[in-house]
Amino acid sequence: MAEPQATPAGIDGSTLPGPYGVGRYAAGLRDFLRERPRVQLFGEVWNLRVSRAKVYLELRDTDGALPCSMWRNDFDALRLGEGALADGAQVVIAGGLDYYAGSRTSSPSFTFAVGGLRVAGEGDLLAQLDRLRKTLDGEGLFAPQTRLARPALPRTIGVVTGEGGKARDDILAGLHRRGWQGRLVWAFAPVQDRHAAPRITAALQDLAATGAVDVIVVARGGGSLADLFCFCDETLCRTVALLGVPVIASVGHHTDRTLIDDVAALSCSTPTHAAESAVPVHCAEAQARVVAVTRRLSVHARRALLHRAQTLARLSRAPGEHLAGERRRLHQRMREIRAAGRRRVEHERGRTGRKALVLERKARAAAGDARGAARLNALAMALAAHDPERTLERGYALVTDRAGDVVTSAAAARNAGDVRLRFGDAAVDATIRDDDD
Amino acid sequence: MTEPVSYEAATARLEEIIKRLDSGEAGLRETLELCREGRTLVEVCAAELDAVGRGLEELRLDDLVARLEAGAGTAGG
Repeated sequence: MAEPQATPAGIDGSTLPGPYGVGRYAAGLRDFLRERPRVQLFGEVWNLRVSRAKVYLELRDTDGALPCSMWRNDFDALRLGEGALADGAQVVIAGGLDYYAGSRTSSPSFTFAVGGLRVAGEGDLLAQLDRLRKTLDGEGLFAPQTRLARPALPRTIGVVTGEGGKARDDILAGLHRRGWQGRLVWAFAPVQDRHAAPRITAALQDLAATGAVDVIVVARGGGSLADLFCFCDETLCRTVALLGVPVIASVGHHTDRTLIDDVAALSCSTPTHAAESAVPVHCAEAQARVVAVTRRLSVHARRALLHRAQTLARLSRAPGEHLAGERRRLHQRMREIRAAGRRRVEHERGRTGRKALVLERKARAAAGDARGAARLNALAMALAAHDPERTLERGYALVTDRAGDVVTSAAAARNAGDVRLRFGDAAVDATIRDDDD
Repeated sequence: MTEPVSYEAATARLEEIIKRLDSGEAGLRETLELCREGRTLVEVCAAELDAVGRGLEELRLDDLVARLEAGAGTAGG
């Protein structure tokens, strides 16, 4: 155990009592505060934190605030149910002042020790927030930022954040992940207390006024809604809504939406995400794509030129090929004509042969006919030689009876009596007379 | 003076050009014109990527304002 320190001399010229050991004084303060009257207070709960042993909260209204704590056992005994007590809730608490004096190794703390608590309704601040949200929405102020074109590859990014906050590192990490190495303009501003909203508003206006910033990120590393209440400031939100530069909000609250989330072009849950959203393009991948596109264009251009060259070559060969084709066709045609000529000659030769044969036969037949005629002539001549008319012409006479039958004997002539004598020129009738009788 | 082409407009047009070329429907003249336009757009994209690839430059808003004012003064004088 450490030796008690010897009491040092006081400050020269000071008329105040002491110096006293701080531990004794702190213990005295604790006792003093505990003797204050126990009271009931009402206000809104903010920064509610539940630990294993205690529940911590701040009780606030427009005039001031008080840090409060409640033993976990007492809190659980209230059986408030899930979500019944949250930031912004209106409560009545009962208890008294207390002071933890601390020690050489632990920090002191002042608190209003809560013995009883009753939830009285939704807090005024949340109700105000809801009314303001509806007003801004009714004025159409949620839309203008979303209509702004956000560049895929901004050259200059403005960032509004706390100078010492973790958000700064997160933003750098996000931009590094994108491979982005442009110009980053920091506009540092408090992001928590009641001075924050006007400073953030001014930083946004100044960044936009430069005309050199493509996109602005407003970031905070997280916190309770009470901590982030500055981002619900009406002037700030109206400024963001009407700003000509797209604003990406990342005030790091997962459960409740601040108003800047509603009026910004985009709301992100973390500063890292906000940084990545500010540069939608991954620069290294984009570089690779540009190289690939360049290659594709070269391939297409080369292929097109090759195609043109092939077409020209084909066209230049075309007349020759055409002539060769025509020559082939002519040769073929000539071969066909010759063959057809030969076939025709053969055919005509056959026909002529056949005709010759027929003629020969006919000639032969005709020759046969001539011989027949001569013979017939001879026969005719022979026949004429035997013709009685020719005999009559030579002086002979033909005797016929009245019936016309030829009388060939004297006896027959006697019998006939009257006969006709036919001479070469004419016939005369005669009567047979036999003088011997 | 023609409006400078933004990176996103250039990449979007490049996508269209590549799609058209890949389709094989473009004639010879169109192909060569698309390739020429594509090369111009590639240069735009490369310039934009180059502008954000030369090393991160961090500065405070006050520094930017001072630099812009100095630039304006130089330009004005």
